[in-house]
Amino acid sequence: MANVAIPLMKKIEPDKGQRLWPWQKWFVYGSLTPIMALLLFFSILPVLWVFVLCFYNYSPTRAGSGFLDMGGANPFIGLGNFKAMFADLQTSAIFRKSFVNTIMFAILVLPINLAITLPLAVLVESSQARLKGFFRAIYFMPVITSAVAVAIMWGYIFHPQQGLLNLMIKTIGLTPPRAWLTDPRAVYFGIPLAMIAVIISYIWQDFGYNLVIFIAALQGIPNEFRDAAKVDGANAWQEFWQITLPLLRPTMLFVCVMTTLSSLQVFVPFQVMTNGGPAFQTEVLVKNIYDNAFRYKQMGWAAAISIVLFLLVLIFTVIQFRLLRSDSGLEY
Amino acid sequence: MDTFFTPKPRSASSARLFRLGGRALLYVLLITGAIFTLIPFIWIILTSFKPASEIIKIPPTFLPQNWSFKSYETIFTDPKVPLARFYLNSTFVTVMRVLITLFTSSLAGYIFCKYRFAGRNLLFAIILAQLMIPFQVVMIPEYLILVKLKLIDSLWGLIIPGMVDAFGIFLMRQFIESIPSEMIDAGRIDGASEFGIYWRLILPQMGPALAALGIFTFMAVWNDYLFPLIVITTPERRTLPLLLTWYNSQHGSRYDLTMAASVLVMLPMLVAYIFFQRWIVRGVAMTGFK
Repeated sequence: MANVAIPLMKKIEPDKGQRLWPWQKWFVYGSLTPIMALLLFFSILPVLWVFVLCFYNYSPTRAGSGFLDMGGANPFIGLGNFKAMFADLQTSAIFRKSFVNTIMFAILVLPINLAITLPLAVLVESSQARLKGFFRAIYFMPVITSAVAVAIMWGYIFHPQQGLLNLMIKTIGLTPPRAWLTDPRAVYFGIPLAMIAVIISYIWQDFGYNLVIFIAALQGIPNEFRDAAKVDGANAWQEFWQITLPLLRPTMLFVCVMTTLSSLQVFVPFQVMTNGGPAFQTEVLVKNIYDNAFRYKQMGWAAAISIVLFLLVLIFTVIQFRLLRSDSGLEY
Repeated sequence: MDTFFTPKPRSASSARLFRLGGRALLYVLLITGAIFTLIPFIWIILTSFKPASEIIKIPPTFLPQNWSFKSYETIFTDPKVPLARFYLNSTFVTVMRVLITLFTSSLAGYIFCKYRFAGRNLLFAIILAQLMIPFQVVMIPEYLILVKLKLIDSLWGLIIPGMVDAFGIFLMRQFIESIPSEMIDAGRIDGASEFGIYWRLILPQMGPALAALGIFTFMAVWNDYLFPLIVITTPERRTLPLLLTWYNSQHGSRYDLTMAASVLVMLPMLVAYIFFQRWIVRGVAMTGFK
């Protein structure tokens, strides 16, 4: 779960409340000590560890010497793992491919997702009160479904002969692709077909989430604004672009950041549906980390890739905050 | 109201026609969207009821020509797939994670919100920092820690690292801010212990926040794949998503079987969703996280 956006978007309030009495100290420190210890041990320690591990040639199959098996057979290699990212090796080439694919996936998912969810939210909001909940419930259904089940079912839907999608494409009289998930030569506008297939299945599963957020935000806009626009003679189109959209700006920032962050971390469809194929066209960073760490046991190398993923997450977040932060001070 | 402020006055009948057309278009779009959302579900449910011979037909059929329960029968009678065991594993891990997360998050959230103590801001900053780290970035050390603790390949290995949830603490703290401090003081005057105030005064008022956090922890843990994938190795300890990928790797081309297995894995969540849909959707809107 990445929730970068939330702490950044909400101000931390200054201390309030009262000072502790001695008997309260027992309660406060007694409760917080185990909780913070668990958090430090299972959440903060791994962060520090991964930043150390990325400078080692570490494999859990070798018994190293010294602290946490780092040393001896698992030597410190400085920036070796990071230099290897630019090397002329097959593993390095696969990493670079996964880096490009991860960015491609995240950049494609966001606008498609917004193009579906924002208008759909407006449509749902303008439907009858009783039907609103009904449509919302249906659209949200894929979100609660297991990603593994979704990957397996879409794998079948994309099946070239037995799949539903090609059946539908044939029914409307078009020629479907020969293979959605396995043909490395099928590339449209520079995007491999298998990548397009993963994007379709991912957006199908994920769009209900943003939809619900947008609907909630639309409901939060006071009617006075819209009424005022109508009095001024705005039509529905103008009302949307000039009233609703600017007021949705904070929500927009939140949705953009969250959508990008979660799409940078997608693993299941790339592992279960395409397994990175064909010809590494759907190999992404998280899958690359998983394969290197847990299949090839190259954990130092995989830790270095984790750092790259972390930096990518950070950079994308900062860029979006720069682009979308509302400076107008518009609040409602 | 609407007609009163319509910018360009049209004749009454043409305006009504225009509105009627707009309404019709609205519902056509909404229903089309709903069909696209539902059709994959319908298709795999229908597929799971087709006999194996019908699956391989080209072109494929949409409705089963002969309804068959063979696929479910095969799964239920497969000795390598003790379904009850996997449901139990998933349920155990999920219920433990939900209960423990609710307890630790609300307790820590309450303390961070209503008490002033040395180190408070530093500790809370650590919690916020943790929110910014995706699990995928730290999964390697997470695995190594579990190896050292001998928790690898154990269901407890899936529970213990998730007992404290930074986001949960953050969310609960936000919510408790709306509970007036005067009430806590009143509890103190009545002689309640500090823990008693949390347990009897604060917790009962946190219904909506606890429900939202509980639902999302439930969804995240029940559907989680990556974490169990790196922790669990013994077949009997698999959770449902692991069972599903394993089953898929064994019977990849038998779509009747894999689709039936997918239906069986999705079913508990879908049933829960039908009952708790309102709370789930409201919870997302309230907390805005997944």
